[in-house]
Amino acid sequence: MILCVDDEPNALVLRKLVLQKAGYEVITASSGKQALEMAESRPIDLLLSDQLMPGMTGTQLAKQIRVIAPKTRIVLISGVNEMPPDASVADVFLSKVEGPDALCNTVASALSKL
Amino acid sequence: MTHEPVNILMVDDQPGKLLSYEAILNPLGENLIKANSGREALEVLLKADIAIVLMDVSMPDIDGFQLADMIREHPRFQQTAIIFISAVHLSDLDRLKGYERGAVDYISVPVVPELLRAKVTIFAELYRKTQQLERLNHELEQRVADRTEELRESEGQFRSLANSIPQLAWMAHPNGDRFWYNQRWYDYTGKTFDELKDGGWKAIHHPDHLDRVQNSYTSSVESGQPWEDTFPLRATDGSYRWFLSRAVPIYDVNGKIARWFGTNTDITERKQAEEALVKSERFAAMGRLAGIIAHEINNPLEAISNAFYLLRDHPSLDEEARYFAKLAEEELKRVAHITKQTLSFYRESQQAVQVALAEVLENVIELQSRRLQVGGIILEKRLATDGVIHGYPVELKQVFLNIIGNAVQAMPNGGRLRIDLRESWGRNNGHFGVRVSVHDTGVGIPPEHARKIFEPFFSTKDAKGTGLGLWISKGIIQKYGGTIRFRSMRRGERCATCFSVFIPTAVSAESKEAAQVLVA
Repeated sequence: MILCVDDEPNALVLRKLVLQKAGYEVITASSGKQALEMAESRPIDLLLSDQLMPGMTGTQLAKQIRVIAPKTRIVLISGVNEMPPDASVADVFLSKVEGPDALCNTVASALSKL
Repeated sequence: MTHEPVNILMVDDQPGKLLSYEAILNPLGENLIKANSGREALEVLLKADIAIVLMDVSMPDIDGFQLADMIREHPRFQQTAIIFISAVHLSDLDRLKGYERGAVDYISVPVVPELLRAKVTIFAELYRKTQQLERLNHELEQRVADRTEELRESEGQFRSLANSIPQLAWMAHPNGDRFWYNQRWYDYTGKTFDELKDGGWKAIHHPDHLDRVQNSYTSSVESGQPWEDTFPLRATDGSYRWFLSRAVPIYDVNGKIARWFGTNTDITERKQAEEALVKSERFAAMGRLAGIIAHEINNPLEAISNAFYLLRDHPSLDEEARYFAKLAEEELKRVAHITKQTLSFYRESQQAVQVALAEVLENVIELQSRRLQVGGIILEKRLATDGVIHGYPVELKQVFLNIIGNAVQAMPNGGRLRIDLRESWGRNNGHFGVRVSVHDTGVGIPPEHARKIFEPFFSTKDAKGTGLGLWISKGIIQKYGGTIRFRSMRRGERCATCFSVFIPTAVSAESKEAAQVLVA
């Protein structure tokens, strides 16, 4: 079960569809707050979140997920090419520019470490 | 009234007469000296300062007139008063003769005491006043001499000051004509005063600024307002430097302008620093903008790429549609590549790893191999070491892809490409590290471009390049505390260009800090 988070609706839908095409089960949230609510109510294997979001950034969300669901794999994805200083809270930091194939590979690789 | 007594010499061959004169003149309180003969009188005159000589015209050994002549011969006694006492009746003609000789007065016998006293008093006062005057004069002369000496000293000090200040300095008449320059002027311009006067100064002004400067100076001189202007001046070697020039009027005691005093301060370095600062701020702004644009593009780019991923092998698409989708996806990959490579500095992983530059170079060469073959470019490869450094492989590859790609593009009609890799010392900071040199025999880099090739958006490739390649490469290498330098020489028809990248293997603490600042 992948929790996919992004404040942009088109980006969120497309990413979800790509992951579903790759064979994963996906639920979505459009904010960090919403994501936390969802994570609290069901088990999540992997969090795939955008970094730059209003309200709560991907790294901030990741930190909180680590607390409430420490076993969750965390992949942060971003349009910014430079990594934020606290990116190490995630398991992987991926750039959007890498494309959908890289996304699927990264997700697969992260999940395999469960 | 107290006064300094003067010496009065009384000359008469008759002692009785002398005594009577003495009796008459005693109350005056002057110094009375008696002489019995002309000869004696002369002796006294030589020994003392005599104010008045009172003498009998007719004396046995010498004629009074002759004595007067002799007295007057001495320059010292030119002004000594001589009063003739004459028993003999003197005609007016005689008296005139006496006056001609420089006698001052006559008294006839019998001597009227009051008359004698009165005359002597007058001449004594005259003598005193003359002495006083002479003393004052002497004092004045002394003061003038002192003052002149002071002025000379202060002028010497002024000259030392004027010639030791770093500025060029000058003085001009109220009409603006320069009459003095300090030594710096002559040293800087290499001209003499004569060469500068009568309009000769125009030669040291830059032609673009001459008219404006002349106008501003003239209007200042006419209005009496302080002058300020900034303009280039020509040095002895023909180069121009920028000077901030100022002049102020100096007023005389009546409030009129007596002269102008001006200075020129070399602000070339300051100007260059200002320009460099503006440039670097502009580049920083460009960098920030590029980062923002990259981010704005990456988001929709990802969404589109995802959409095309979904379209791959979609059942509702026929072959033709699938073909279109495939082409679109390929182009999208190119866009992604471009934003990745050019719009910002990209680091693909969090941890730096051991990177063998030899491997990176081999990789890049392989990517270029077809172009080398087709382009008729001979490759010489000298990889003397593995060149292992601690870093990020993708960005390092980007740097060498850029530099080697440039070299290949510079040889459209073939040539020679040489790539060296060896251990080396850094030229600036004495660090030890690895140096990669890329030599080509292509079109070369002209001197007017030399300064700009590391600037963003500077390109010599017409429409093709983004102009960001070298700028980004330099930024990446600087993060490693390294340097990129180049040399381009033309020898007749051929050019030889070499780009040299140095990366220290022992990174000092300062360059690490600097690298972190650049990343942020």
